[in-house]
Amino acid sequence: MTAPYGSTASGAALVVSGIGVVTPWTDQPEKAAVSDRPAVPGQWFDHRTRLGPRGYKYLPPASQFFLAAAKYALVDADDDPARHPAEQRGAAVGTNSSAVALHDGMDRTVLEESADALSPVAAPYFSINLFGSRLATEHGLKGFNLTLTTPRVAGLESLETGARAVAAGRATWLLAGATEEALPEEQPGHGSSERGAVALVLEPADAVRARGGRAYGRCQVSSHFLAPASAASAEGPERARRLIDRGLAGWGGAALGEAGAPRVIAVVDGSAVGRAVVSAVGPSAAVAAAGAGALEPLLQVAAALTELTAPVLVVASAPGGNLSLALLTPAP
Amino acid sequence: MHEVLITGLGAISHLGCGADAFWHGLQRAESSPNKVIDPHAHMPIPLMYSVPEPPVVDVPLDGGDSRVPLGLASRYAIEGARQALADAGLGEVPTDRTAVVIGTGMGDSGLHEQWRTQGRPEGDQWVPVFSVASALGAWLGAEGPVTSISNACAASGFGLSAAADLIRTGVADVVVAGGAEAYSRVALACFNRLGAVDPERCRPFDAQRGGTVFGEGAGIMILESAEHARARNAPRVYAELAGEGWSCDAHHATAPEPAGTQIVRAMRAALEQAGATADEVGCVVPHGTGTELNDVVESRALHSVLGDRAGETPLYSLKALVGHTGGAAAALGAVAAALVLHHRSVPPNRPVEELEPACEVWLPEVATPLQGRFALVNAYAFGGNNVSLVLKEAGV
Repeated sequence: MTAPYGSTASGAALVVSGIGVVTPWTDQPEKAAVSDRPAVPGQWFDHRTRLGPRGYKYLPPASQFFLAAAKYALVDADDDPARHPAEQRGAAVGTNSSAVALHDGMDRTVLEESADALSPVAAPYFSINLFGSRLATEHGLKGFNLTLTTPRVAGLESLETGARAVAAGRATWLLAGATEEALPEEQPGHGSSERGAVALVLEPADAVRARGGRAYGRCQVSSHFLAPASAASAEGPERARRLIDRGLAGWGGAALGEAGAPRVIAVVDGSAVGRAVVSAVGPSAAVAAAGAGALEPLLQVAAALTELTAPVLVVASAPGGNLSLALLTPAP
Repeated sequence: MHEVLITGLGAISHLGCGADAFWHGLQRAESSPNKVIDPHAHMPIPLMYSVPEPPVVDVPLDGGDSRVPLGLASRYAIEGARQALADAGLGEVPTDRTAVVIGTGMGDSGLHEQWRTQGRPEGDQWVPVFSVASALGAWLGAEGPVTSISNACAASGFGLSAAADLIRTGVADVVVAGGAEAYSRVALACFNRLGAVDPERCRPFDAQRGGTVFGEGAGIMILESAEHARARNAPRVYAELAGEGWSCDAHHATAPEPAGTQIVRAMRAALEQAGATADEVGCVVPHGTGTELNDVVESRALHSVLGDRAGETPLYSLKALVGHTGGAAAALGAVAAALVLHHRSVPPNRPVEELEPACEVWLPEVATPLQGRFALVNAYAFGGNNVSLVLKEAGV
């Protein structure tokens, strides 16, 4: 008989204690993954009201989004920096398209004028890791501040790599998530652009329990790779299924289709990899359309955590082959 | 806990293609930057340490409807991996236990920049900028994690460290890990705008240094669990990746924290994990970029960590030869450190014309026999992201 997921989790296992969401359609985590997402014209995000009257004007939008999501997550977690020393507080953020519009504008400036015409305030943001750096400065996170950029799954990998770093003793507290800004209008994929951010606070279950805090649940991530050519072959769905089952087996739980298997949400596109994943998870899985970047999988995770009573598996894939699984289980 | 061994090396840089070319280039200790071959590089100092002959990577990445265009960074990474796999004698890689971790600051931005002037290929899908690791994963047929880390100039330091964590936690037996960086007009223009480019060459620790000069390249390593390497009788082990330390200044977007508190902590954490004392460190490959404050802060931090030994521990200033290769810098530094341990010799540094008085460091200008079993590699980035790696002599 297969053990239920999470049955062997120790008190040192990380649980999600805070959730912050910023999107054009909602800031409520439980509504983050709704399918009805009305277009929000104009300036939907005012950094002055969200973050403060001064000091944020020149930050790129994706940086502002992530700061706001982190702010909400920290409040939600009833965060007290005194609980974890600054050097034990780590952060990880995933992003694919935060800098695309900025780079596009910078490059056009260079092409049409010269580097001298670039804004010196914006210039450092050619480096995508700066989109998350203000977070560390503002909240004194000195453990580490990782930036993951793997297509589509970078947000999930921020949880995975960040949690592995915590397990390795590099921190005891983690803030992880994803942030994205829309692609320029003339770029392919603009229609599936993502704007917004998700931030999750993760702490040891014992620590949350000891202070009487709320634990939404555990979120464990396992990443794999299905080469596009392999996905496009006749064996593609079976290979996708094998990878997913391998991830599930690593958590000691039931395989897809078995009794006790988790409810599945697949975040996919129409690529060969996406089609293989959809076939692998079967018709009972909920399918969410992937955006251009790494935000949608985190929106699904955030929403599922708010109503978690039984295990949920969020599967996300990219056309290039990346495939990540996030297993959400009620807190131990 | 699994030991993490370095069993194969690949290197592409201004010094040429291949780990042998890299090592021989280090012995020659001569190089100079070139003007970038880009008619649209409208900037005051369009200098770079370019890869002289970019490798031709003819690989089938056809995924039916997902053909992935390959930018230069992807090509460097794949060529570096090809070299490293051959060096490691890993012909048939067990896909399910194989992972990829690549650090890159700009990914394939150069490809998108090329499209802005030459036109974009047809298609309705956005091509992600940071697809270097994925391209390598597809080429390799890996089934384990394939991860892209983009902590700017420290990206591949974090990448190698994250790769080691995959082995230590049993997720993978083999990780093709490192970093790749190629010319990006945007990155070079922004560094020009920030006044951070030296008009002559990359001159770390030189009193006349005027900033850094970017370089292109890739450093790729085969990281392998000791059990796996032993089971297949791996032809050689260059070194063990024995310790890694991470920290974040949480101080400023671009400037290091002047006291160097967090970079000291990262170095100490890496040394402690490796079980290395200060007097066992035989060589340091510093971050040493040639930017004014960074070199001073790092020099002082080395004195804090190495104590009395700081002035007599040889530094190998790699960037003086290959430039600042951004996301690939830590990986190329680690390749250099692995070769130093393997050959038990610190290559001659490119001579520093006038050592910065505030940088009390030893940069030997002749090849120096290695004293000590460990090599320390530092990498720091915008955002105050710091990582130190400690490599340990093989078989010790």
